[in-house]
Amino acid sequence: MNPCPNPARAWARTALVVAAAFGLVAGTLSGCGGGGIDEPGTTPTAGAPATKGSFTTLVTFGDSLSDIGAYAPATSLAGNGSAPYFGGKFTVNGPGGTVWVENIAATVGVVVTPAEVGFGATSVKCPAAANAALAGTCTAYGQGGSRVTDPNGIGKAGGALTVPVKTQIANHLARFTSFKATDLILLWGGNNDAFVQFSTFSATATQIQTDAAAGRISADEANRRLFSAQTAAEDEMKKAALELAGYVKTEILAKGGRYVAVFNLPDSTLTPFGTTLPATARPVLTALVDTFNLWLREGLGGLPVQIVDQNTPGKDVYANPARYGLTNNTVPACDAAKISAITRGAVTDGSSLFCNSTPGVPFNGVRAGASATTWQFADGVHPTPGGHKVISDYVAARLRAFGWI
Amino acid sequence: MQSHAQLSSIARAAALTLGGLAVASTATAQPAPINPPPNPHVFKLGAARYETNTVTSGISGIGIPAGGDVTTGNANTAIVTYEYHFQPNWGLELALGIPPKIEARAAGSVAFLGRVLEARNYSSTVLLTYHLPDVSSTIRPYMGIGLNYTRFGDIKTPYAWQVGLTDSIGWATHAGIDWRLNKQWGLYASFAASEVKTDLTAVGATVLKTSIDFRPRVYSAGLSYRY
Repeated sequence: MNPCPNPARAWARTALVVAAAFGLVAGTLSGCGGGGIDEPGTTPTAGAPATKGSFTTLVTFGDSLSDIGAYAPATSLAGNGSAPYFGGKFTVNGPGGTVWVENIAATVGVVVTPAEVGFGATSVKCPAAANAALAGTCTAYGQGGSRVTDPNGIGKAGGALTVPVKTQIANHLARFTSFKATDLILLWGGNNDAFVQFSTFSATATQIQTDAAAGRISADEANRRLFSAQTAAEDEMKKAALELAGYVKTEILAKGGRYVAVFNLPDSTLTPFGTTLPATARPVLTALVDTFNLWLREGLGGLPVQIVDQNTPGKDVYANPARYGLTNNTVPACDAAKISAITRGAVTDGSSLFCNSTPGVPFNGVRAGASATTWQFADGVHPTPGGHKVISDYVAARLRAFGWI
Repeated sequence: MQSHAQLSSIARAAALTLGGLAVASTATAQPAPINPPPNPHVFKLGAARYETNTVTSGISGIGIPAGGDVTTGNANTAIVTYEYHFQPNWGLELALGIPPKIEARAAGSVAFLGRVLEARNYSSTVLLTYHLPDVSSTIRPYMGIGLNYTRFGDIKTPYAWQVGLTDSIGWATHAGIDWRLNKQWGLYASFAASEVKTDLTAVGATVLKTSIDFRPRVYSAGLSYRY
């Protein structure tokens, strides 16, 4: 070994060794799968129209919040499915009893009618088509209980149609072949997926807590099982949200839809139903809603659609009801006892589907002192016409902000 | 993520900067002998105790109750270093460790989740080191500063998460003692500290995030060989 190496050569050798060592390390590491990963839900939507639409049709997909009377036959005064009906919408029915879909149709200046009306074994698609002039108006697809993909929605066993959003879109394509540039297309699905998953979670949680209380499992084990049950429910919400985004992409945008807005989910714990939940369960329902909204955002990232955030404004309405002309946002305006009496005991949960506000009629189901315009909720989760006006005012403001109306 | 090219340029920049510093500080003391000493190449192999000494920011994410956090464990590993003494008192050292396996356990309100993550820290450190003057003495203390680059690999989790940990570049420092046994062989003991920060993102049913601020303390001791 040379005891006195040439400095220049030694430096060069050192540099080589250092570089080689770093190269080796970097080279080895490149196969390790390290590094950061993209965070879901951070890609914004892009490319939606920014110009005013020439709308001839309002097309809405969704659940009870967007239902403009699909189950009216269940509220037949004669009790045989025939008109006249005393209910039919999930709000306070009767004079001025409109929901957000009808309000937006009025704002845009188009007529919209239910895509399908019926209950139990009997239903009619596009009943308005009986009048040829209205054949193109039956584009309000929302039905109480509907989920995103699963046809077994809430109330299906009791006769509700619960056609899922997936099939609602397919039905539209079957009748009208494609979406048009003159369609204003609004989707609001997933609320019932959250309720179904929450209900499944709650049943599991009750069992876990029973086992823990009886000493069959440790507190840590109970917590692990609760976390696992919650994760399973969140996974289902993720799946539903990505499916909904997929339908928007492949069944609406790819089939002519131009003006497409997708609503995310409001926090269902900010309802009279939500306030009845145990404090430990409420965050789980909120998490399910947030999970859906996260993956909906992820699924719609980069697509030429607009997202209408119903979650943040919903929180503001809950916190500041007076700002929206509301005086009560905690008590349902419909009286469960009256509705039970009107339906001869068939409906005991106070569902607003059977709630009517016409003064002086025997089927008036409104709670004494309640208002259909200044109280926010008709039942545990559904808004009064006043609550619906808050929603449609907000949606109209967003549509204006998009430059669409 | 750093590319190889970026990484090399960072190492180069560090070497240049630190080299410049060395020249400046010695220039005032004496006419600088720029020639390296005899036997300028030193390899060391040592056993190391890697203490993660972590500070975390808490876990945030949908469905995680307030107060969720994570703690990291310590590890034993082996370290290999190569140092080139470009002057009798100054050396440039590259330190590589057998990547220690670091375990992360859930803490706080989610402690029941137990072990949530395991990853290896692939770490390399370049250090400019000053050795106390007397080249001929048996015992020579040294200290140095430099840069640490860490990547995380072999990430495993018992949960259905896809986990990402961002790369880290941060300062590093060390101090130690060389004990010369003969012309070639010696023993050493050292203490090193560095700053390793990573952002953890776990994507499963939802997205969980935390920042882990490792402030590793590495105690090592072993053999040295010079030629």
